[in-house]
Amino acid sequence: MEDILLLAPEIILAVTALVVLVAGLYLKTEHKVALGFISVAGIIMAIALTMSIMLAKTSASMFYDTMVIDPLSQVFKLVFLSVALLVSIASVKYVSEDRNTEEFFALLLLAIIGMMVVSSSNDLITLFLGFELAGLATYALVGFEKKNIKVLEASMKYFIIGAVSSAFLLFGMSYVYGMTGTTNIPGIAANAHLLVDNPIGIVAIVMLIAGFGYKMSLVPFHMWAPDTYQGAPSVISALLAGASKKMGFIAAFKVIIVALIALNAEWQTIFAVLAVITMTLGNVVALSQDSVKRMLAYSSVAQAGYISMAFVVLTPTALAGGILYILSHAFMKAGAFIAVAIVGFMILVGNKDARDTDHIDNFRGLSKRMPITAFALMVFLLALAGIPATAGFVSKFVLFSSTIEAGLVWLAVIAILNSAISLFYYARVIKYMYFMPTEGGRITEPAPYAIAMILALVAVLVIGIWPEPFIYWASEAANVLLI
Amino acid sequence: MNIGDFAFLIPLLPALAFVITLFFGKRLYSGGALIPIGAIGASFIISLLITINILQNPDQVIHQSVHWFAIFNLGILIDPLAAVMLTMVSFVSLLIHIYAIGYMEHDPAKPRYFAETSLFTAAMLGVVLSDNILQMFIFWELVGLCSYLLIGFWYQKPSAAAAAKKAFLTTRVGDVMFLAGIIILFASLFQAFHGEVPEGVYLLQFSEMFNHIDALAAMNATILGMEVSHLTIIALLFFGGAIGKSGQFPLHVWLPDAMEGPTTVSALIHAATMVTAGVYLVARTFPMFLSAPDALIIVAYLGGFTALFAATMGLVMNDIKRVLAYSTVSQLGYMVLGLGMGAVVGLEAIGVSMFHLINHAFFKALLFLCAGSVIHAIGTQDMRQMGGLLKAMPITAGTMLVASLALAGFGIPGTSIGTSGFFSKDAIIETAFVFGEYSHDWIPYIFAILAALLTSIYIFRLFFMTFTGKSRNNAKAHEAPSIMTVPLLILAVFSLVFGALTLKPFIAFMERTFDNNVISLNIEHLATLGNYDLVLEHGPEPLFILWLPVIVAVAGLLISYLLYYKQVIDVSKVVSRENPVYKLLYNRYYQHKIFTELLATRIVYELISLSADYFDRKFIDTIVDGIGKITMSAGNFMRKIQTGVVQNYVAAVVAGVGLLIILFRLIVEVI
Repeated sequence: MEDILLLAPEIILAVTALVVLVAGLYLKTEHKVALGFISVAGIIMAIALTMSIMLAKTSASMFYDTMVIDPLSQVFKLVFLSVALLVSIASVKYVSEDRNTEEFFALLLLAIIGMMVVSSSNDLITLFLGFELAGLATYALVGFEKKNIKVLEASMKYFIIGAVSSAFLLFGMSYVYGMTGTTNIPGIAANAHLLVDNPIGIVAIVMLIAGFGYKMSLVPFHMWAPDTYQGAPSVISALLAGASKKMGFIAAFKVIIVALIALNAEWQTIFAVLAVITMTLGNVVALSQDSVKRMLAYSSVAQAGYISMAFVVLTPTALAGGILYILSHAFMKAGAFIAVAIVGFMILVGNKDARDTDHIDNFRGLSKRMPITAFALMVFLLALAGIPATAGFVSKFVLFSSTIEAGLVWLAVIAILNSAISLFYYARVIKYMYFMPTEGGRITEPAPYAIAMILALVAVLVIGIWPEPFIYWASEAANVLLI
Repeated sequence: MNIGDFAFLIPLLPALAFVITLFFGKRLYSGGALIPIGAIGASFIISLLITINILQNPDQVIHQSVHWFAIFNLGILIDPLAAVMLTMVSFVSLLIHIYAIGYMEHDPAKPRYFAETSLFTAAMLGVVLSDNILQMFIFWELVGLCSYLLIGFWYQKPSAAAAAKKAFLTTRVGDVMFLAGIIILFASLFQAFHGEVPEGVYLLQFSEMFNHIDALAAMNATILGMEVSHLTIIALLFFGGAIGKSGQFPLHVWLPDAMEGPTTVSALIHAATMVTAGVYLVARTFPMFLSAPDALIIVAYLGGFTALFAATMGLVMNDIKRVLAYSTVSQLGYMVLGLGMGAVVGLEAIGVSMFHLINHAFFKALLFLCAGSVIHAIGTQDMRQMGGLLKAMPITAGTMLVASLALAGFGIPGTSIGTSGFFSKDAIIETAFVFGEYSHDWIPYIFAILAALLTSIYIFRLFFMTFTGKSRNNAKAHEAPSIMTVPLLILAVFSLVFGALTLKPFIAFMERTFDNNVISLNIEHLATLGNYDLVLEHGPEPLFILWLPVIVAVAGLLISYLLYYKQVIDVSKVVSRENPVYKLLYNRYYQHKIFTELLATRIVYELISLSADYFDRKFIDTIVDGIGKITMSAGNFMRKIQTGVVQNYVAAVVAGVGLLIILFRLIVEVI
């Protein structure tokens, strides 16, 4: 039974979720802020445990080979947990006056557990279960402000597309099982030729791509993302972009790279087309957005396109670059959404009934009103654009240079041109923050928001300036995929 | 715990002081002056202890390096050359900061002043202890930035703002050459490794550069039909950077204008430290110069010419700081000349040149601080309005006299009696003589001797005009407060005795720079690569040659004495607009007309910039704007796909699945 200890992080989170849920029943609304602290404490414990398992380089398989522990799973768990930490710290403020605080944190923790299960799963069934656990929890989280029509619309769209995609995913999985006779991922890899030889196999794989592509927000499965990211509360957008999206990537890494690597040559082209379309569409549409959250959503689509280049190149460096990019993007995007949440808070302080708090006009002269937020948001945006000394540069550098090394210069050129386009809309926000006049006085950031944002800022800069350990762990994780 | 482990604090402490002073200086005593002073004081102590350590074991140098991004590294290399330089920079900077408490007392922008000088010191220390040339270049640029900020410290004055801009742009010419040199160096080394750089090897580290000199020397490029070794190109481009920073002809024009900043800035940056960065760069990369054919000869000629050329202009300036500025240019010329002498004497050239650099830092900082004291007292920089200050300001006058004697190089050859300037300048002139003797090329020697005569004339002209005769000014002069005079006295002591105490050991110490646990070079082999015949032993020079520099110095003193003290002839008759020589000198050889009006305005601005601008606006911009417009309208079009109707989204998902299947079939067919 020693094995079960390796799942201690998940168990701690589950216990925390239950404690929060039950305790919330007995607490008055004004005391519910304690629930946030309990959740944060649980997440920190889970981070510590996950890290200790990772640093010990433990590898194990458990529950009849349906779950595995290896560097890959631990790295992704850390990504999810870090985003959960940022989001839950920020949420201490966001839900402070809500009487359903306990539901919020319990759902948040359950969503993270689902994602962690996906990253550990070694079987299509566990993978699907984790996928759905995270999905159901986030549907509810997106619709958390039940009285807000826009939020409900966002949640509804997210849910409907999610349901369709789950259907595709499950349908694809059933074909895979039908043809290979197993749901075990290494088992599928061993029987991959059965899939390749059968025309239905292609249908099955495309359905899997559609199912995962929905979470990864690859074009054309991305269409829910802008609406949902824009409509959802900013902290939840941070969770979706920072963590939920990455769950799609780890699932795709596991199934498509590990199991279906035999299909290599043809898939490269498919993914190349998907990557190019995704990054170009994301960047070009982001150019003309006036809602900052929507802009960030399209930027998130574009970033998914960059990360998908890892599927095309499929060298150890490229996968390491993709994983590093996922890690960096989690912090940059989560940080940016939290900064937007702070701006929303600022606008609401001035006018309780303000709508469209994330409109770019609200960012005018932010450097005067909230210098810390303005600076942090500037760093996040520059990082997203890939400016040196930030995490975004390092990950782009590793990923793009691996693309060039693999001889796919045309792909790298397209990606770099796309980065150049993206700088335009990122810089536009910076221009609004720093060079536009403003009305309204200085406002202090609420502490929970500020702490979460500064943690993300530190992470972005640390990865940017001292990338070696992160590159090392990304490579360790990538090696798992290619054995 | 080894003192070397604290080496990283040397630039870090002043950099931290910069941040603290900038943000909290207003609330602290004297604009936060004490924080930079404390930080630089600590840097000085660490530097001094390290120097003492290295003096005992010259082959155990300090080298620390952390790598960054697999191909670059951040590192510290403190060998004899760097150790001496660090100690000098931190020491002089410390004294000038203390002096500035008094000098800047009434300036409202004190926090900014102290923050910027502190950052400057940090950057300069960073230049000195870098272990790779890229890091050195970064600090080098930071030094340039600080100099820009400090020259334009009183930015409300249009002349100060213009001078700052001029300094920035002029040194930029050199910086671009330096950067080009680094790029060519990197590319050539990369080629030498055939593109496979082993783990843990950082191409731009000095040790790697020097270890691959043979490979670099073997690479040739054809420029204008001439076969030139890569090494020569790189060395000369580095020298281009040095020309800009160290104010050598023809990029010296910014230095006299830089006197628009506070006098303490002039002392710190434009006399003692920053301008020596160029000399330091050449000394640091000396092995490359030594193995590059012709490079050292060019260095020697340019240095000698600058020494003489600047001295002639120093003769006629009326602004006390401008005289000193031209003197700095001229003395830097000596240092560069000294380095060029490496063509014959090898590594001894570094010793000779660095020795003058250190001594010059003491007496030139002293000269500037004395000038500052005078300006502080009577509120003008024009020497025609000074005079008779000897009685009112005895300490300033006394220390100024010491500094002048040092600059002119007074001393008795063959003994250890003499000012520090005497020992160091004499060493350069004697080396130039050795150079002449062995290569039969006497031009550097002639430049050096003539410049020595002029140096003596202009500095005593300054002294007599300022301190003797009748007062030509109504201001009531008074001696500066002790916070200003104490640094003067300390510097005066160093100007008097440092040279006498350290001459031989200093030069021997410098020669050990390239022979230690990190860098160990075969100098004779390198000189063969550069086609230089080194003379390892040169005996005592003829008595006349030993005495000649002193004789010209005394002659200069006498001329000034007769002209400006006794006034045997009426100087104002010679000094008239009709006298063509005077006119030429006073107008500084019409450099302003040639460089600014003709070269910069007519050719670069009107001819090149404006036509490029036209091309850019009409042609390039249309293309760029066009691409932008197309992209934007594509974005506007594509956002319409996003209807917001969830049914359409589902349709897109289903269509996507269908299309992917078809696409996959197609690809399989094609492949």
